[in-house]
Amino acid sequence: MAGSGSLGVGIGWRPEIDLTVERLPGVDFVEVVAENVRPERLPESLRVLRARGVPVIPHGVGLGVGGAEPPDPARLAHLAACAQALDAPLVSEHLAFVRAGGMEAGHLLPVPRTRAALSVVAANVRRAQAALPVPLALENVAALFGWPEDEMTEAQFLGELVEMTGVGLLVDVANLYTNQVNLGLSATGALDGLPLSELAYVHVAGGHSHHGVWHDTHTAHVPGEVLDILSELCARVDPPGVLLEWDDDYPSDAALEAELGRVRGAMARV
Amino acid sequence: MSDDHARETPPGARDAAAGGSVLDGAGDVPAGAREALAGAQAVLLAALVAGGEAPPGFDEGRLRIQAASLISKRRGTVARVRPDLVALLGGDFAREFEAYARGRPKPPGGSRADARDFADRLRAAGRLPPEPETAAGASRWLRPFRRVVKLLSGAVRPTG
Repeated sequence: MAGSGSLGVGIGWRPEIDLTVERLPGVDFVEVVAENVRPERLPESLRVLRARGVPVIPHGVGLGVGGAEPPDPARLAHLAACAQALDAPLVSEHLAFVRAGGMEAGHLLPVPRTRAALSVVAANVRRAQAALPVPLALENVAALFGWPEDEMTEAQFLGELVEMTGVGLLVDVANLYTNQVNLGLSATGALDGLPLSELAYVHVAGGHSHHGVWHDTHTAHVPGEVLDILSELCARVDPPGVLLEWDDDYPSDAALEAELGRVRGAMARV
Repeated sequence: MSDDHARETPPGARDAAAGGSVLDGAGDVPAGAREALAGAQAVLLAALVAGGEAPPGFDEGRLRIQAASLISKRRGTVARVRPDLVALLGGDFAREFEAYARGRPKPPGGSRADARDFADRLRAAGRLPPEPETAAGASRWLRPFRRVVKLLSGAVRPTG
């Protein structure tokens, strides 16, 4: 995919672990949650990383391109300003809806995968692309439920979306694992169906099992099953980048470093 | 939304509408597709966050799990915004938050507003001292951490 080049192995930059991320060896790129920064006043840590030449990708969580409304121009302007301030190679968001009927979900919810919804989402994606100075990549989400009217798998839906709009893919292998556990959807089947030639980068993360349901919490060791899916992906395509997401209950610097080592190991296992 | 469409629909697209689709921005969207999606997503979200009935065809057990997971995510954010409430309620924090949030969507204004509404409910129930004392107490207690709290309080988690 245009824009991503070769990113390497990275970690999600969070204010709570800013110094850790700066110090960790082998961090080739980072991602910052776009809604948490002001482009005109970037955190010092991000400026330090940028000065070192580390790419920083703005990762949006609130745009909701899978929603019924066209994406909010103010949110798009913020993403564009983040991309410019960080000189980012691309911007990423999710194939999800986050608000409807005047209510906020506070979370990334799955879109009904129908032809009609696809046409709405494609129009939303085109509007987003027109407002951004860099390419956009969309991430598959972790779902706890499916829509009864689903006509396509998420891989098929994303494939159609890529074809219609040229949007890039951010494949979250932890989300593929979540959907495999919770919804019985084969992760390798999803990898087979996704247009991996348009891969921008990959997410990996840990989570917790609760009463047989996998919760993708980003607060734990990445399970071997998720790393296996990463290896499967790497057997199909050389990913431009792979990024570890860890959002709370932060472990020691050494534990995060070891986790990045496990990610590299899974990538090399091909 | 129809006003929005009228404003953004390019000249000539109205003719396409007669044929069953409209040019929507740079894309071709079947007539009524946005409205149908808006309705479906609103009904589902109402079931998840506002105590609405589960729309037909969905796995109700899964929607209950999703609803609980949304509350738990809100609770985590409110706990970061108001560590004083966590300290005050101790082991009751999760139960009190659940009682507050069930069937009540996150208010406009995001997590700060959510935390404020939760505190108001606790105060009304006599679980919190009156406002001025609390504010002063919290502010005194939090002073050394103010920058961190400010940085974290609006923070959104990307989980997904």
